[in-house]
Order: sequence, then structure tokens, then C-alpha cells
Amino acid sequence: MRLTARQTLLLLAPLALLLGGWLVVPAAVGLAATLTTYSPLTTTVAFVGGSNYGGVIRDPQFGEAVRNVLLFTAVAVPLELGVGFVVAYLLRRPIWGRSWWRAVVLLPWLVSPIAVGVMWHYLLGGATGILNFALAWLGLPEAPSPIGDVRLALLVTIAIEVWRVGPFVAFLLLPGLLAVPRDRWELATLAGARWHERILRIAIPEIWPLLLTVGMLLTGLSLGAFDTILILTGGGPGTATLTPALYSYDRAFVTNDWPLGAASAWLIAAGVAAVGAVYIRLARRRA
Amino acid sequence: MRLRLLVLSAVAAAFLLPLAWTLLASFGVIPDDTTRPPSWTWPPTLQHFSEIGVAEPAFWQELGTSSLAALGAAALGIAVAFPAAFGLARSGIGASRTLTQAFLVLASLPPMAYVIPLSDLSRRAHLIDTFAGLTFAEAAVTAPLAVFVLYGAIAQLSPEWEEAALIDGAGLLRILRRVVLPLVAPSLAATFLVLFVLDWNMLLVPLVLTSGEIKTVPVALSDFFTFERELDWPTAASALVVSLAPLALLVAVFHRLLEGFALWGPATETSDE
Repeated sequence: MRLTARQTLLLLAPLALLLGGWLVVPAAVGLAATLTTYSPLTTTVAFVGGSNYGGVIRDPQFGEAVRNVLLFTAVAVPLELGVGFVVAYLLRRPIWGRSWWRAVVLLPWLVSPIAVGVMWHYLLGGATGILNFALAWLGLPEAPSPIGDVRLALLVTIAIEVWRVGPFVAFLLLPGLLAVPRDRWELATLAGARWHERILRIAIPEIWPLLLTVGMLLTGLSLGAFDTILILTGGGPGTATLTPALYSYDRAFVTNDWPLGAASAWLIAAGVAAVGAVYIRLARRRA
Repeated sequence: MRLRLLVLSAVAAAFLLPLAWTLLASFGVIPDDTTRPPSWTWPPTLQHFSEIGVAEPAFWQELGTSSLAALGAAALGIAVAFPAAFGLARSGIGASRTLTQAFLVLASLPPMAYVIPLSDLSRRAHLIDTFAGLTFAEAAVTAPLAVFVLYGAIAQLSPEWEEAALIDGAGLLRILRRVVLPLVAPSLAATFLVLFVLDWNMLLVPLVLTSGEIKTVPVALSDFFTFERELDWPTAASALVVSLAPLALLVAVFHRLLEGFALWGPATETSDE
């Protein structure tokens, strides 16, 4: 059926009210506030133009945070897509207890990001963790937690994020692979396609829009990396695992540097919006 | 076939090992690395589960708050996203697909991008530390994802059912409830479950919108660590197990329903044998 404009508006109204009140209005008011000295604690407000943004961009800590999050995103997103694709591909054809496999691989994603941080804090450090247990088996002495090592900390947080999100990606990709018409696979097999040709010529092109969509969600998730790192390292050691989201949180809620916190949060939003524009373009070309 | 099962088991074991380690620790089964080879504390005990209440007296109440807020937020999110997705799918607007993709971008936006002004406005509107303020905020954060998923499900439907109902004289809301709702019920149920998990696990939004009157489990967990009141591992493990248990149980019971969650394209399997 074709709705009239009035009907469409009526159907969209509840969503518009919810998003308007809790996202759009706060975001717009917040954006305007970043051009001033506004903070919930001050009574006088002065217009300062873009100087809050200038302050954030000139802050070497923010530069470190951006560098870290770009590395985090560039490594974590492809790995998550890769792990997810492999698991989904393995579950593509009927296998004993497939629906249980699907549920089981979802488990790491069910653990809240904050609980993931708590869990790995103990697993990687301390006498009762996995790491030192493995070392003890090998007869090696106890090692300090790699989270405390400046060179390893960021890589460890990436590995933990892949552990948490990779299986969820499999859950998202599997329906796409299952929806590929069966004769595509059969024709390819008859034509003598090897397994890697089946992946490159059939699986990936068939689920390309889905891969783009999942990639968008993962990129947003990585650019906003916060929860797990807050617990594991708090951004340290030094600034080794500092991300823009941790930077904004710290400025706004810990050191009471509200304008810098709000402005840097808008820079995160701008980054995700830029990726989003690319996503919409790519997805439209395929549709 | 056998190789596939083997690889799959190896991958699953690697991903589940940290969780199994935590489960063992929650029952007090922890390794002792000082013996050679390392040994395990035995027998298991339930004692650490009762210690959660000692370390965090309000833990069980926080579990209740988390459940109710996530339930309310997921229900509200679906309730506003479903009509909106139907409106977009049947509006005849040429750009409705692009508009829906914009909702996915909104769903990808990290909460940090908007929680700073949200916390300020909520304080001014006296919604800080209220159950309603928390529930509405969580719903708003997750509703865009629901719009995207439900749009995909509705766009797949053939409009002829709706048109037949229209000819029979059914109104818009009646068509939505009696015709469209049953047809996309599996997608609705799966989306509800995913939103529930996202809402239950959310940290930043409840962290900045509450200050002690009400508290969710993730916020309580973060308090322990940011305030340096470090727990001993078996008690922390018990708390982790208890906070994961409701979600694991939900997924175990409803795993068939979750198979209806498709971000793009049909959720149904093409006939395979």
C-alpha cells in the first residue's frame, strides 16, 4: 500500500518525539554550547567561536588519542569482519546442532563491555589468570600483565575487542550467507571453483551490502571505544590506550573542563558522520 | 564435514575459554601456580556468590534496575521503531532507503558523541537519577538500529496483504496491528532481544544519567574499579557470572527467535537439502 504524507508523518511521530527529545535537541544545544565558554558550573557564558575546537586540536593528548583510535579501528574492524566471516562460513552448510552453535558463538558479545574489562583484568594479570597459568605450566616465572606495558597495551585492547565482537559479526553475517540461492554454490562447484574462489566470487559479492552495513556499525563502535578500556587501563599506561571518547569523558566529567569535553565529543561525531557519508554512497551504488 | 566440525570446535573453545575460566573461578575453582605442575583449588563452593552481597549490598537491587530499564527501553524502542519503519517502507518517498541508511549511521554513532549535553539537559529537566529518564534515553539510543532492521523486514513483504485489508475497509492502525505485525513478528521478537542485550549492557548512558539513586549493573561494576575498591577474583567472577546469566538464559531459550535477526536481506534460509 502507498501511504499518504499525513499517514507517514503520523507513523513517524513517536520516533521523532523520542529521538528529538533525547538525541537531536541535546545534540543541537550541545553543539551551540561548544562555541561558548558554557559549562554547567558557570553562570556567565561568553561566545568564543571555534576556540574550544582549536584547544582540543592543539592538545597533544588529543592527538595521541586520535592516533590510537585510528590504529584501533584499522586493525580491529578487518579482524572482526574476518573472524566473523570465517565462523559464519563454517556454519553455512547444515551441521549438527547448528542453532546451538549460533547461540554459543554469541556468548562473548553478551558479556557487557565493562564486564569484559573486569574479566580480562584478572585473566591477564595476577596469580589466578590464564596467562600466568600457561607460563607456570611451561615452567616459566610469573609475568606482569601485558596491559601495563606501553608497547603492548593497545594491541591487547584490540585483541580483547576482537574476542568480544568477532563472534557477534558471525551472528550478523550468517543470515546473509544462508540467503544466497543454493544453485549459485552448485553452479560454482560444477564449474570446478575451488573454496577460495567460492568465497571471493560468490560469498563476498552476494553479501556485500551486509558486509558494508556491519562494517559501518563496527567502525562506529571502534571510533567510540570506551567501556572496556576505561576499566582495563583508563587510557594508560601514559596515553598508550587513550581514545577520543576517554578524552572527552575525562574532560567533561573528571577534570571539569566541560567545553573541551563537549567539543572533542563533537569531533568524534564528525568522524563517524564522515564514515557514514561514505557508507551511504557505497550502499546506494549497490542497491 | 569432520574437518569443519573440528575447526569450529577449536574456534569455539578459544572464544569460550575465558568464560569457562571465569565460571570456574565463581565457584572458587582457581589455579595455584606455586605447585609444579600448577594445580586447582578443590572442591567448588557457592560461598563467593553470597560474598557479592557483602561487597556490594545493593547488587541484587541493581540487577532488578538493569532488567526493568532494559525491558522498558527495548519495548519502547520497538514500539516507536515499528510504525516508523512501516511508514518509511510504504511512504513512496524515493529517498526512503537512503533515509533508513542514515538511521544506521545514527545507530553507529558512539554514545560519547551526545551524552555530555544529554546529561546536562537531563539535570535541568530533573530527569537525572529517575527511572523514566534512564529508560527513555536507552530507548532513544537503540531505536535507530531497530528502525533499520525492521525497515528491511517490512520492505521484503509483498504489499498485497495490506492492499487486500485496505479494500476490506481496514484502517491504518488496524492494518499495522492485524496484517503487518503478525508477518514481521519473528523480526520484531529478534530485534527486541538484541535491543534488550544492548540496553542491559550499556555503560555510558546510565553512568552520566544516574548518580546513585538508581544504578545499573555495568555502572556498579565500573564503580568498583574506578574507585579502587578492588574485589578479589572469585567474588568478581561470581558477580560477572550473575550479570551474564540472565542474558545467557534468554539466548538459550530464544535462540530460534534470534535467527530472525537480519541486518540486510531475508532472514529465512533458502531451502538447503
